[in-house]
Amino acid sequence: MSATRRPAATARRRRRGVERKPLFAFACTAVFFFLLYLPIGAVALFSFNGQKSLVVMKGFSLRWYRAFFHDQQLLASLRMSLEVSTLATACALVIGVGLALGLVRSRGRVGSYAAFIMLVPLITPEIVTGVGSLTLFKGIGMTLGFGTVTLAEVTFSISYVTVILRSRVAALNPETEEAALDLGATRWQALRLVTLPALLPAIISAGVLVFAMIFDDFVLAFFTTGVSPEPLAVNIYSQIRLGVQPTINAVGTLMLLGSLALIALAIVVPRLFGRTGGLEILTGD
Amino acid sequence: MSVFFIASLLLVAALSFGTTNDLGNAYFGHSLANIEALADPAYRTVLLRSLAYAVLTSAICLVIAYPVSYAIALHSGRYKNALIAMVVVPFFANYLVRMYGWSTILSDQGPVLSLLYRLGVPRSFHIVNTGPGVVAGLVYGFAVFMVLPLYAAMERMDTSLIEAGRDLYGGPLRTFLKVTVPATRQGALAGIVLVFLPAMGDFVSAQLMGGPNQIMIGNLIQEQFYGGQNWPQGDALTMLLMAVLLIGMAGYLRRARKDEAEAVR
Repeated sequence: MSATRRPAATARRRRRGVERKPLFAFACTAVFFFLLYLPIGAVALFSFNGQKSLVVMKGFSLRWYRAFFHDQQLLASLRMSLEVSTLATACALVIGVGLALGLVRSRGRVGSYAAFIMLVPLITPEIVTGVGSLTLFKGIGMTLGFGTVTLAEVTFSISYVTVILRSRVAALNPETEEAALDLGATRWQALRLVTLPALLPAIISAGVLVFAMIFDDFVLAFFTTGVSPEPLAVNIYSQIRLGVQPTINAVGTLMLLGSLALIALAIVVPRLFGRTGGLEILTGD
Repeated sequence: MSVFFIASLLLVAALSFGTTNDLGNAYFGHSLANIEALADPAYRTVLLRSLAYAVLTSAICLVIAYPVSYAIALHSGRYKNALIAMVVVPFFANYLVRMYGWSTILSDQGPVLSLLYRLGVPRSFHIVNTGPGVVAGLVYGFAVFMVLPLYAAMERMDTSLIEAGRDLYGGPLRTFLKVTVPATRQGALAGIVLVFLPAMGDFVSAQLMGGPNQIMIGNLIQEQFYGGQNWPQGDALTMLLMAVLLIGMAGYLRRARKDEAEAVR
């Protein structure tokens, strides 16, 4: 009896050996996720703390949220960040869409140089871009403030828009646009009525992502902003340098919720247009 | 449309060169004093420290990211997309807020050290305000940049190679080291670059997790602009940082091209 079973058992064991789940890797992944979310969870948890402490949780309270909504300086920062992000996103989208269309369609030396220049801001550390922008703005005599922050954020985000949209533009079927032209549309009409609607889901996703990035950006804003009001991230930075500030927990939690809502939007919108996916924005395919 | 393209291209070209390369423009009239000042031993110490921290950060991220991306890419089945989305989501939480949360957790009164003290670790042990603390901050900040390219490489990898390794009686660890790691080297290289670049320029981690004795080149640059008000010196330091990074990038590109040439052959 046992003699007949043994070969099967060995085979099964061997097969399991090949497919065996890598427990060590799973454990590492679990710890990784735990540590990745721990600080964020802590910030969210302590934003409801009844006390000023950042280590002892005592009682549930919304006082830090109330404090935030009564802090005129923080509110002014929030408004500035929203305005900068909106304006910069709009500019970056217009330029980025144009660039993506142009880059894909101009094969040749200009196109490849341009593609290279596009990548430069992506691989430059932000502090270098920040210092460069500051030096440039000051060099040409601009006053630091809303305008300089917006300009710096636009230059930084154009590359992201273009990189995200390029693959979509490349995937477009050029024949649809040619068909429009054959049917008597002008170039502008073909762009407006055929090409842009096809790109719309990708444009919206790119816009949402870039908006979130600009809103959260700290380094560029830090170097290019004036004194008052400061963008929200810069304001947070000055506050955490001073020490325990539970209001920041509340602000951070609200910002996190905002970002999550935006990501959800970036994923959902392309699906509304009947495309599967959308998640590739996160996974980078 | 092409007019629009060229106009926007010129704008980007002007702006990106303005923001990355034309740093010294406003100061062309100055002497080389600022460049010479870079030879100052104090600066050299900070530069070497930044390099050491950034290299260490990349190494630690690599060690963490290998098992994580291996588990997600090859063994997570239908949860794969959800898991990789979970890796990316914290990246969209504000960097400052994340670092702030991390520094509270690792602080002397935080949960990690409280537990360690209770377990008998001497009270003189600290994380915040030490060099390892700064590295811990950098690792936390940028580990995601290592996981993503490694994950992509693992996913593209031919898994029958792993099976072949096992069939040839390689143990799990041996197969991993001799088959999986070489097959995903390009992803690892890309990850190292993606972690090293921001880690080298970071000044938030050194500020929140370190003290005055752990400052990095980013802190020096920031000080020149906001404390010392010595802009040309700050620009010179930025150029120095950029030079170091360009050397690193050149090394990476050469390596990547060599890999590509080998792959073709």
